[in-house]
Parts: sequence; C-alpha cells; structure tokens
Amino acid sequence: MVKRPARVLGWAAAWVIASGLAVLVSILGPPAVGAPVTPELLKTLELGRYPSDTTPPDFSGRTPEGKTVALAGLRGRVVLLTFWASWCLECRPEMPMFEQLHREFARRGLTVLGINVREESELVRRYATELRLTFPLVLDPDGEIGTRYGVIGMPTSFLIGRDGRAVALAVGPREWASPKARAIIEVLLAEPGGRAGAR
Amino acid sequence: MANLSARKADYSKFQELNVQNLGIAASNPFSQKTLADSLKLPYPLLSDFPGLKTIRSYGVLSEQRAITARRSFFLVDQQGIVRGKWLPDVEAAVFPSETVLEAVRALAKK
Repeated sequence: MVKRPARVLGWAAAWVIASGLAVLVSILGPPAVGAPVTPELLKTLELGRYPSDTTPPDFSGRTPEGKTVALAGLRGRVVLLTFWASWCLECRPEMPMFEQLHREFARRGLTVLGINVREESELVRRYATELRLTFPLVLDPDGEIGTRYGVIGMPTSFLIGRDGRAVALAVGPREWASPKARAIIEVLLAEPGGRAGAR
Repeated sequence: MANLSARKADYSKFQELNVQNLGIAASNPFSQKTLADSLKLPYPLLSDFPGLKTIRSYGVLSEQRAITARRSFFLVDQQGIVRGKWLPDVEAAVFPSETVLEAVRALAKK
C-alpha cells in the first residue's frame, strides 16, 4: 500500500509534538528566477568575466540601411555584441550561429548586434545578404567603437546583461550555438533588468 | 602593443629579479581589460582615465592629436623612488626589456 505523504507528515508531526519537541516546517519554493551567471558557467565557454559593476562604453551607430542603433536603447535586453569584418576568416563561421541565436532568442529579449569594423556599407550589406543575416549590423567606419571597447582583433564578442552591465567577453571565436552558450544566454535572459550583486 | 607583448615575452626575467610590471594608459578600464585578455598579458593594465593623475604626475601626458600617455618606462624601487626613466622615440622599434633589466641588476649590486 502506498501511503499518502501528507498523512505520513501529519503522523510524524503529531509524534514529534507529543514528544514535547518543537517542529519547524520549511516550505521550499521553486528555484529563484534570475540566479546570477556564475564564473563556472562562463568558464564552460572560456569567457572572460567582468566585475559586477562594469559598464560597457556607450555607443550609437548606423546600420547599412540607415537605422540608428544605440546601446543605451537596448537596456532591459541581453546584448550579444560581436566585432567583425568580412575579411576575418574566423568571424565567418560564427555568423550563422549568431543568426540562429537571434532567431531563437530575440523574442525573449536577446539582441545580437554585429559591429563591422572599418568597412563600406555596401560591402556589409552584400555580406549580410550572402549569409542571410537578419540581426542588425552596425557600421564602425572609423573604428571608434572598437577603440572604446579595446578591440585589437576579430572576432571579439561581449555579453551584456539586461541591466546594462558587462558580463563577459570572448576574444576569438566560440561555439555560440552550442548548449554551453545557450545555457549562459538562458541564465542572462532569466535575470531581472535591475540585477545587482556579485556574479 | 608590441611593447606590451615584449614585456610579456620577458616576464619571467622580470619576475626573477622581483620586478612587477604594470601598464598604465589613458584608456577606459573596459578597453584595458579587452586589451589585456586579447594579448593574454600576465601582468595588469591600469587605467588612468579620465583622471590622468598618474600620467600627468609622471610628466608624460600628450595632448597633440588625442589625449594619450607618451610611450615611457619608469623603474621604481621598493622605497617608491624612481630609479630609471626611458622615453624612447615614438617611431622607435620595441623598447628592449634588457635595458631595464640591466638597470635593475645594477641597482641590486648597490
């Protein structure tokens, strides 16, 4: 016969009380939503970590279509920022992965943003068409955004949390569509916009 | 950048002589971290921006085209006294670590 847990608990509590002992019943809820990204989680993708109070440099730039994109306007969303160029061989395999993440997570709050370093608008447009990229590509014709971010090689990518704080950086290519990367993005998407405290 | 990498290549030589390398620039801390991670530097890069206090006090602030620190090297002893100062030409090739290491060895003999 299978005993009903509630009845078992009731009998156990009655026995403890009858024995003259106090009972502390702790009711545990589900795991907290918005658990911070841990250093261990970032290590799975070999990402560099920022202290929790690090703010990435602000910037705004134009897409080849003439639309202005500003980092400040993305507050409340998780941002995956990648610096790239068409001649960068290691950037190319990453692009379909970024597109995959964009299609999968954009509705839930992820913005994938490609910063093209020092190339012509038309070249960027052709590259996007060839690789069927639909996530926004921002032009950095003078390399000013790259300088602010300290980028000296490509690809270099940054993860920014919903609260606008820098979370991690990747110097060199990563498997951005892998389960490890998705796990990190899932945790960041679950974080509240006003996150505080240590990561 | 070439100088940062040169100090990285000779890092163990500096360590043997108990010298701590520090890089200081008029750049924001965010870009410093990207740079340090990109070059995999074994020593810290410090940001003196926007205050520029250290760069100014060492007399190497350059405001010609943009606000930067002039390429310069200072050897500071354990008492905080500047024992060596090198201001190579901007166009010069990589400043050799051996110049500083020799100065450290000479100091140790005194």
